[in-house]
Amino acid sequence: MAQAKPQNKILTANRLRNGETVYYTAAGEWSPYVSEARIATTAEDADALAKIGAAAYAANTVIDVAVIDVNPGAGAKPSHIREVIRATGPTVRVDLNKSVAPPQR
Amino acid sequence: MYIYDQFDHAITKERVAEFSQQVSRRLTGELSEEQFRPLRLMNGLYLQLHAYMLRVAIPYGTLSSKQLHKLADIAKKYDRDYAHFTTRQNIQYNWIKLDQVPDLLAELASVEMHANQTSGNCIRNVTADQFAGVAGDEIEDPRIISEVIRQWSTFHPEFSFLPRKFKIAVTGAPKDRAAIQYHDIGIHIVKNDAGETGYAIYVGGGMGRTPVVAPLIKPFVARADLLSYLEACLRVYNLHGRRDNIYKARIKILVRDLGPAEYARQVEEMWPMTRAAGVDVPAGEVARIAAFFAPPAYDKILEPVAAFTAAKAKYSAFARWVQTNVHPHKVPGYGAVTISLKPIGGIPGDASSAQMHAIADMADTYSLGEVRVTHVQNLVLPNVKQADLFAVWQRLGEIGFAEGNVGLITDIIACPGLDYCSLANARSIPIAQRLSQKFADLDRQHNIGPLQIKISGCINACGHHHAGHIGILGVDKAGVELYQLTLGGAGDETASIGQLLGPGFTSEDIVGAVDKLVNTYLDLREKPSETFLEAYRRVGPAPFKESLYGRR
Repeated sequence: MAQAKPQNKILTANRLRNGETVYYTAAGEWSPYVSEARIATTAEDADALAKIGAAAYAANTVIDVAVIDVNPGAGAKPSHIREVIRATGPTVRVDLNKSVAPPQR
Repeated sequence: MYIYDQFDHAITKERVAEFSQQVSRRLTGELSEEQFRPLRLMNGLYLQLHAYMLRVAIPYGTLSSKQLHKLADIAKKYDRDYAHFTTRQNIQYNWIKLDQVPDLLAELASVEMHANQTSGNCIRNVTADQFAGVAGDEIEDPRIISEVIRQWSTFHPEFSFLPRKFKIAVTGAPKDRAAIQYHDIGIHIVKNDAGETGYAIYVGGGMGRTPVVAPLIKPFVARADLLSYLEACLRVYNLHGRRDNIYKARIKILVRDLGPAEYARQVEEMWPMTRAAGVDVPAGEVARIAAFFAPPAYDKILEPVAAFTAAKAKYSAFARWVQTNVHPHKVPGYGAVTISLKPIGGIPGDASSAQMHAIADMADTYSLGEVRVTHVQNLVLPNVKQADLFAVWQRLGEIGFAEGNVGLITDIIACPGLDYCSLANARSIPIAQRLSQKFADLDRQHNIGPLQIKISGCINACGHHHAGHIGILGVDKAGVELYQLTLGGAGDETASIGQLLGPGFTSEDIVGAVDKLVNTYLDLREKPSETFLEAYRRVGPAPFKESLYGRR
């Protein structure tokens, strides 16, 4: 039987200073846009993300750190409805929603 | 309204300074999140899904127009131009930045407001009947002892680290409009056989995962003894409450496990000690506080008021709004207006800063400068002349709050749910919005009659679903939002806990399921005046279950 493919994961948190929902990027920064999140495709990658999150928490950069599931395939699309709402904002105030990607510069 | 004395001002100012320092120390890393979290919670500051949330206390739901203007200013300056009124008669801001909280709290303090004890394991903001002081059926204005309790419980050193949070509600009339039996302590102002006013004390009610209707622990506590008796109730709980298990830590579990009679006995045993400590408030001090709530100078008005009668005759929509949204006032020629924060398709309890400013202005023009918050997430202008009701209704129409649905099926309680709350398992607000749209037709709403739908997005039950005539509880089943239905709950003087009907419904199906329940009721009621709750209590769940799940 073929081994199940590991679940893709990303690292998310809220910024200490303003509480904003943020994602850890491939560039090693915290971005408000989920599409910029670094995707862990292996268990080792996911462990590395968890360690980065713990260090950022200890450094008082972010709080409420979590490694979360994203859908398989291209891009960082959170699997669970809770994380979809965190990534874009309240579904009942679409006027306040944020994009999954940064605005084109 | 109560006005802060020098002590209130001093402690509020000191607390702002203290918490400002704690925020600074957190931002520099001197305090860890583990150290800071209990401190921020005691100051009403949570972390939710998108940002920090600040819960501001509105003691017993009473606001001045000046305070409401300030709350609106804060929504604009520190949040995204709106805020949310809650089932605890408080207000919540959803998009708060930690580094701005000290400035925000200083602004609140300038209008005698704060966020103290709106979270944490302490005595929370005391709640009361929104018609306090104006209801015709009132025995005593519940704001007087609510204010006494507020002063007693503020920063009370013995009760700042209780096993769990502690909520007290007071109602001053035979009709319970404050859901007192769903509180840790519910106080019902009563008269004894000798005609003296005192307090019936219910202890150990609550919502959450273990809903309990509080038993009556003492039928009559004399006015002069109230605080020492409450202190005895709290002390027994503080000593014996289950600190080892968060799910068993509320006083309702202690009272249930001991049995109400044994709990009452232990309180009686404790009472002489708290009495001897001299905690009871001297009559002179109670009188000083009561003076703040003395009736304002009402005009002498003869009823019927011709302009009011004529407006009702001319505008049927106005007449209907009066029927549902204007509560009888104890003074002839006046009415207490409930402003429905439940426009069809709207977000229950939300108001923009512009709407808040407009309501504060209306309070000044038409209601002697006062506003109330109800636990049903509406606002009240308590002192409106009947002759001004038409102008109030028109102005409310201009700001989108003229819905004549108070007490009807679209006057829905909904917690913030998964759209905002980090504890939620499912969204509440979209279900409320779709139900409101489904039942928008006002003729049908009036035909259905009084029907309370209450929606919670998790078992913590901030949306009071246990007390809903129709309760809806959102759950997460393998990543999918499902909604369970309970029937027969009530939060008034006939308090009861809603019973689960059966398996949950998807978001797509829940509105249709509620529609079936309503149609079942309309089919089986004996006469139009038999309410949904009365019909349910008469026939039980069987016909409702059958309408949803078929014969089994």
